[in-house]
Amino acid sequence: MSSEKKQKASVSEARRKWEEGTLAKGVQRLGLSESPIEYYTPEDVAEHDFLENVGFPGEFPFTAGRHAIPVHIPMWGRGKQLGGGKTIRHAFGYSGYGTAEDMREFYIQRGKTPSRGGGPNIAFDLPTQTGYDSDDAMAEGEVGRVGVAVDTLRDFEIIYEPFVGDMELDRIASNWTINATANIIIAMYAALAEKRGIPLDKLRGTPQNDILKEFVARGTQIFPVKHSMRMTRDTITYCTEHMPNLNTISISGYHMREAGATRVQAIAFTFANGIAYFDAAIEAGLEIDQFVGKTTFLNFGGGMELLKEAAARRAARRVWAKIMRDRFHSKNPKNWIYKELGGGLCGYWPMTIQRPLNNLVRAAVGAAFAALIGEPPACEPPYDEPLGLGHSIEARQLAADASRILMEECKLSDVQDVFAGSHYIESLTNQYEQEMFDVLREIDEMGGALKAVESGWMKDQVIKSAWEHQTRLRTGEDVQVGVNKYTEEDEIEIRIPRTSPYKAERREDAEGRQIENLKRLKAERDDSKVQACLQKIENAARDDKANLIPFFIEAVKEYTTAGEICGVLRSVFGEVH
Amino acid sequence: MNDARKIRILVAKVGLDGHDKGANLVALALRDAGMEVVYTGLRRTAQHAISAAIQEDVDAIGISILSGAHMKVAEKVVALMKKEKIDDKLLVMGGVIPEEDIPKLKDAGVAGVFTQASTYEEMIEFIREGVRQRRERETRA
Repeated sequence: MSSEKKQKASVSEARRKWEEGTLAKGVQRLGLSESPIEYYTPEDVAEHDFLENVGFPGEFPFTAGRHAIPVHIPMWGRGKQLGGGKTIRHAFGYSGYGTAEDMREFYIQRGKTPSRGGGPNIAFDLPTQTGYDSDDAMAEGEVGRVGVAVDTLRDFEIIYEPFVGDMELDRIASNWTINATANIIIAMYAALAEKRGIPLDKLRGTPQNDILKEFVARGTQIFPVKHSMRMTRDTITYCTEHMPNLNTISISGYHMREAGATRVQAIAFTFANGIAYFDAAIEAGLEIDQFVGKTTFLNFGGGMELLKEAAARRAARRVWAKIMRDRFHSKNPKNWIYKELGGGLCGYWPMTIQRPLNNLVRAAVGAAFAALIGEPPACEPPYDEPLGLGHSIEARQLAADASRILMEECKLSDVQDVFAGSHYIESLTNQYEQEMFDVLREIDEMGGALKAVESGWMKDQVIKSAWEHQTRLRTGEDVQVGVNKYTEEDEIEIRIPRTSPYKAERREDAEGRQIENLKRLKAERDDSKVQACLQKIENAARDDKANLIPFFIEAVKEYTTAGEICGVLRSVFGEVH
Repeated sequence: MNDARKIRILVAKVGLDGHDKGANLVALALRDAGMEVVYTGLRRTAQHAISAAIQEDVDAIGISILSGAHMKVAEKVVALMKKEKIDDKLLVMGGVIPEEDIPKLKDAGVAGVFTQASTYEEMIEFIREGVRQRRERETRA
């Protein structure tokens, strides 16, 4: 008998004795019918092979970490030094409100702070996200509300005015949370760069551009799935050729998890969507290793059962590595990881409006667990997330300090993947890997993510899971402190001041100012040129082989509005919501 | 006698907000409580919601909104309800709505406003009671 087998046999025997002896006595002494806690041994990871299942950080199967040294370590502080000693300032601080002028002012003020921020991480208002101009009847009451209004290139020119000198477009990375209209925003950035004389291949940024999850969970889709996927194909093929430093997509599990998907569904659906995008690019003639390095992931959301979240993330690394190596036959191991900045593991949905300061604890513990698996200890979200749009300055400070404490005082990032070898976590990691592959197989059998999204299956699954969770909360099976338990009269509600980083009065009159700006611009531009551009877009849209982005660039330079472009596309592609 | 009739309610997403977890779950909870629920789907105009309410002959209208555009949406919906003479129907709203806006919405004509802090039980009870009172008034008239 090998020594390993001998060890397992003796563990099995010892466990039986423990269960019948020490554990049984404990259960009896406390008057319980069975043990309320679990204990895992090598038996639970019977087939465990360290090199095969875990290995070393930055190497297949990446269970212990996607990078040898997690990317947040060199980025901690401000900006990243590239090989040539040049600093790239990363997109920072998701924000957006009002008009382009309001955002310009916001970035000027941010630039004066000691941290100086980084590239803009822009939130767009809903009319911009759904392809309506600020003066469209559909936009009434929504302009500049959940983000900044961008109707034309003029708005982008104004937003980016503070980004000059050592913050010039080739020195910063931007982030744009935009999906259905992502290619129009990319076109505006390209046009802006051309006007400033910055070569397109120097541009860095990340559009979210993940349309499939919009159908499932976020709801800003405009065009039917087929045409939406064509737009994604256009991004990947155009950028691979002309903007090789721009990320093309940020494939997101977060929104599906927030909408109610289980942790396994959120990760498996994200990967299924990723597979569909990659298939589209390959069908357009690209090789996997040509474009996949510029595809990124947002994240997979999270939840408060943090041991399970940690295991699910470890499983996700392994599942994706296998997809890239075995399904797409990627030759470059650097491309076997999902590119993601990472963040806390608790997600946003566990945050409660009741006793909101408790959210700081929730997010900080989520950040600690992120650190334990080698992800950045991002204390997300700021505690006042459920209290309304826009985190307060106080909440952001508390979140930033929590991360700093975890990393610099607790030194939680000094060891990578402390869970490697834990019988419980390894066993759970194996289980989740299996479950994720099961979901992926189910989706493959129905014809892939396109079909799973188009038929509504993916969305139905999310709603079903959300309802099951709500039912557990209603029955008290799942606990939320201060919500469905510990709500007696003597429990106190603690509130602290909340200062908005935005000027509220500007948000109130943003719609009027933006419509005025648009009216003025429309009067100044050359309408015949605009109409000619729109006609070209219409013709190109009818030709499925054509890439629309060059036509968008041409059009936005003439100050054609995003709404006008989308109007044409709506007439050709049809519309869904 | 009318009280035995099942409550019919329209759940509507008005405006551009695409977050529909709340609307979906509330629709399921109301159905679970024995109501007949008609859900509009995403990105509807106020006019669409009101037309659907008339066509489906509902007792109550529930609007879900998380984008901060609730004041404008409420104004539009209430104005249309008056215009179409269905302002006797119960109008409720739910979503991420700051506390300070709740009295303003009520002044504008929204009977009940629910937030993340509300329970399904509170909503169900409020709708049942509101519809019962309206049916009583109708019978007396």
